[in-house]
Amino acid sequence: MPKHKPKRSHPTIDMTAMCDVAFLLLTFFMLTAKMKPQDTVVVDTPSSISETKLPDAGTLTIMVDKDGRTFFDMAGSHTRQSLINDFNTRFSMGLTQEETVKFANSGSFGVPRSQIKKWLAMPNAERDKISTGIPIDTADVNKSELADWIHNARLAQFRMKNEGKVKEDYVMVVKADKDTPYPAIQKVINTLVDINVNKFNLITNSEGDPNKKPEGGK
Amino acid sequence: MAEMQVKESGGGGGKKRAKKMSTRVDLTPMVDLGFLLITFFMLTTTLAKPQIMALVMPEKDIKKEDIEPVKESKVLTLLLGDNDKVYWYEGITDAKLDSTDYSAEGLRKVLLNKMDKVKGQWGLEDYTKKNKEGVEEELKGSFMNVIIKPMKESRYKNVVDALDEMSISKVRYYVILDVSKLEEDFVKNPAAGLKFNVDDQVEAATK
Repeated sequence: MPKHKPKRSHPTIDMTAMCDVAFLLLTFFMLTAKMKPQDTVVVDTPSSISETKLPDAGTLTIMVDKDGRTFFDMAGSHTRQSLINDFNTRFSMGLTQEETVKFANSGSFGVPRSQIKKWLAMPNAERDKISTGIPIDTADVNKSELADWIHNARLAQFRMKNEGKVKEDYVMVVKADKDTPYPAIQKVINTLVDINVNKFNLITNSEGDPNKKPEGGK
Repeated sequence: MAEMQVKESGGGGGKKRAKKMSTRVDLTPMVDLGFLLITFFMLTTTLAKPQIMALVMPEKDIKKEDIEPVKESKVLTLLLGDNDKVYWYEGITDAKLDSTDYSAEGLRKVLLNKMDKVKGQWGLEDYTKKNKEGVEEELKGSFMNVIIKPMKESRYKNVVDALDEMSISKVRYYVILDVSKLEEDFVKNPAAGLKFNVDDQVEAATK
């Protein structure tokens, strides 16, 4: 009699289908992930219990870092292009065609208008050095560069909306560091109120709501 | 585990067969990598989205006739000070300055106490609120008015914390205003008392 060997079972699973699904999902998430231009400054936002999410598109952001420097960022390269073309001729900023395109595709900036040309020529790592913040004039709103940027960005977005290039109006967002001294925030808020933007949003991190029971999930 | 058949039965004599190589590839590590990347992209796209908190500021130009007086006993003023301290006082006549912090036992208690006080004195009032379908509902509630005045020593976190407390304690009417000289002096020297003149305030707001 031959020795009876127990047959070793080899459970094999076909991984091909799983692999297909995994890569399909991977492709989907990679394509939907938006590449965001790097923020020029680190802003550590405070937390709140608010559950409203920041909208995906159409945000007009004022950032205030912990030294009180003000940065400005607007979404949408069409609107940025339109705005910088307008400013370039109006204030003779001396930007070339390539420079305006570069501006349209970059992120937040915090330099006076006269420095934009220099700022664009710099590599990302060095921009922080000349970023002194966008000048705010609290006494005369017509002289305040920040008010100018916001007002004209909203107008440009409105023009783009009429041309059908964008769908939404700008949502005004203020993103400030939790250690920013209040006077710096106050200047920004006063500027907004001065140009009749009375409704805006503050960016925060999420935090648990103490009114909600823990078993209800956060 | 996927199959790993490399060894065929050893050459035991007989006919020489062409060795059949398995065409199967173990896909497990590839699937692992795939899911790792999926997790990464999912977390970076959905979790990175920050929250926003809506804030409405009062309009710049207020007309005198639009000003609606508020009962003094319903008003609570918070002065946000340095080192995460909140100074607060009720009403304006014979106001007494007290201070607290932003913890659950601090500012929240102050707000809830004041709310109970207002409820006890004035009872419930009718108000209408739009529900989720956009239909106005008749509800009853008790309201106090909270005035948030961040002083120049305070930091941004304090403002957000104070606003957050408003939504946690469900305060319906609150506003952020600039702190006045009188109040700065009041914080420095609470014993001297607060000498607010309502007419001066109205004058200052409508100029």
